[in-house]
Amino acid sequence: MKKILALVLAACMVMTFAACGSNNASETTAPADAANAANGSESSNAPAEGKTQISLWTYPIGDWGKQENVNALLAKFNEAHPNIEVKVEYLTYSDGDDKVNTAIEGKRAPDVIMEGPERLVSNWGAKGVMVDLSDLWTEDAKADVFGSVEAACKSADGAYYEYPLCMTAHCMAINKTVFEETGAWQYVDAETHTWTTENFLKACQTLADAGYDIGSIYCNGQGGDQGTRALINNLYGGTFTNAEHTAYTANSPENVKAMETLLNQKGIRYDASINGGEEADLFAQGILKMAFCWNAATHDARKEVIGENFEVFPMAFPSPEGTDTQLCGGIWGFGIFNNGDDAKIEAAKTFIKWVCDENTVESVETSGFWSVRNSVTDTYAGDEMKAVYGSFMQYMGDYYNVIPGWTTARTEWASMLQKISTGTPVAEAAETFVSNANAAAAG
Amino acid sequence: MAQSKVHYSKKTRKLVMKETVSAYLFMLPFLIFFLGFVVYPMFMCVYTSFFDATMGDRADIFVGFANYKELFQDQVFIKAFWNTLVIVVVSVPVTCIFSLWVANCISKMNVAATSTFRCIFYLPVVTGSVAVTMVWKWMFNNYYGIFNYVGQTTGMIDRPINWLGDPRYALGCIILILLTTSVGQPIVLYVSALDNVDKSLVEAAEVDGATSLQAFWRIKWPQMMPTTLYILVITTINSFQCFALIQLLTSGGPDNSTMTIMYYIYHNAFKLYRYGYGNAMGVILALIIAALSAVQMKLGQEKN
Repeated sequence: MKKILALVLAACMVMTFAACGSNNASETTAPADAANAANGSESSNAPAEGKTQISLWTYPIGDWGKQENVNALLAKFNEAHPNIEVKVEYLTYSDGDDKVNTAIEGKRAPDVIMEGPERLVSNWGAKGVMVDLSDLWTEDAKADVFGSVEAACKSADGAYYEYPLCMTAHCMAINKTVFEETGAWQYVDAETHTWTTENFLKACQTLADAGYDIGSIYCNGQGGDQGTRALINNLYGGTFTNAEHTAYTANSPENVKAMETLLNQKGIRYDASINGGEEADLFAQGILKMAFCWNAATHDARKEVIGENFEVFPMAFPSPEGTDTQLCGGIWGFGIFNNGDDAKIEAAKTFIKWVCDENTVESVETSGFWSVRNSVTDTYAGDEMKAVYGSFMQYMGDYYNVIPGWTTARTEWASMLQKISTGTPVAEAAETFVSNANAAAAG
Repeated sequence: MAQSKVHYSKKTRKLVMKETVSAYLFMLPFLIFFLGFVVYPMFMCVYTSFFDATMGDRADIFVGFANYKELFQDQVFIKAFWNTLVIVVVSVPVTCIFSLWVANCISKMNVAATSTFRCIFYLPVVTGSVAVTMVWKWMFNNYYGIFNYVGQTTGMIDRPINWLGDPRYALGCIILILLTTSVGQPIVLYVSALDNVDKSLVEAAEVDGATSLQAFWRIKWPQMMPTTLYILVITTINSFQCFALIQLLTSGGPDNSTMTIMYYIYHNAFKLYRYGYGNAMGVILALIIAALSAVQMKLGQEKN
């Protein structure tokens, strides 16, 4: 009896350990595996004989964060490349970096990752854990991809750590319904979706006089911080970094003036309790009348909440002349972690080439953004709203995210805005930001 | 004086040996787990704290005690230390006193009522911490939170308070939420401890004319001392390790007003990739917790 009991207990313990070693719930296998399962054949983590298995980790870049959409793409990929199995894990922006960094430290980084140059080039690339993708950047590719995008995908030493797929220009949005009701609509150039700083401030005052909460300089964390940067930098023509991307310049008189203006504007508050996503939610709920963290995908994701309650009107950030606005861009593509397995690296490159070069339009549409190529123009033909968001691409500004010390700078940016929210003089807070960010940039 | 020796037969020795081996075999899975996931990381934490360790292919650079030296010059760490201390100093006594009071009240009720209240107070413990925190976040919301709504409709406040975005209130909000999630287990433990108090002693004291307070203080309290000691230690450790609330609600802000040592460790290790520096903080935190726990144990044992 004792022996039986001992055996049962031992079995339980072994099973517990086996359970600990099971796959992550958010991980899915590529259609090749799914197809095997459907055919009744055994599906396992080990690749089928003669197949190379690679892992893809993707941040929620439009529908690249949705399993059904990615699986559809992978099924198509497997038709062309049946010998490559792709296992996908879906990351979130709240804990994705932690997962990736932990994986890198544990020597279990994914083979392919989908994100932007600020992570692929400036962060992981600079740390020497990525594969140089120069061979993917053929002369044809270089000729087709926008020059600014190519520059962003390249490190200071000339290595390419990203092969880009899509891009967007982050913008802001206003509640058109309330703007029309209060008379603030007169300050908007509805044709070009732009406005001058003077008109922006007049519109703010009109809304404030009507008693509305206008907008929030959110600073709970880094989420959506491109919005606050773009607003502050554009208001009086300031810059975030110098042109060489070697030093932070957010303490310029233009930026200080912008931050002071926003601080003194009734209806706009520096708010350390919310981040960019939460600000967009408050706008979608009709509580705030402007959103500074906005783009086509943000709009798509909140369509149901907005419903028929009001009309969203996308806008470029206000600038002295209106049309000289410099929008922050998002560039997304693929990078390969150097896991020391040449076969996997080769398979990863094949996958990237297929997604970006051979299946471009569908892959871009899955992101909800726009292609980085001159040759792909009519991705969303007939969609008026997409056309508006696409028109912002002409205002795409300098992609300064590749500056060294970027991770620290983002933390310090939030910290600076929080300091301002708690009464620290703007110039002093900006000085601290630049000092700390430049120290990080200097390494 | 000659010591008496116990002589075991060969058969008995064999049996003892067999049982010892069995015991170790049963312990082996946990021992492997303990060594791999507790002892080894602890060793690596101390070891790495002497290096400028970061992510990537750069070799870690030995820096001796430089990380520790930097800690005590780092204003954010000092702020985090004080914030953590405030959380501990407020939440530990309040949790213990409140739990004891609630347990004392509900233990006098009938069995059904005791069970009901025990469940109610234990509910936040078994509910996912993320869910609990998100509900609190909604209640504290600057724009549509219930606290601002009630405050404004009753005339207690004339405009919304940014509870989590204002350094005057943010840490208080964190402590309040921490209290609601911390009292469940102590209440259950105190109710059990009160049930185990020798009733005959209480009755004898009452016959001798002792008041309820005297009976509690002189008879029940000493018998509950081991439970109190345990509660003090676990509440102190939990308060020192307060992380999820900060991560979900304030990210250490505004202006580091809710920064705790645990969150600052995470921030340095996983946001800035300063593993060596983060580990040095981890070592200091472990030493503080160990020292405080030792003091609590010592005081508790002396009182016993």
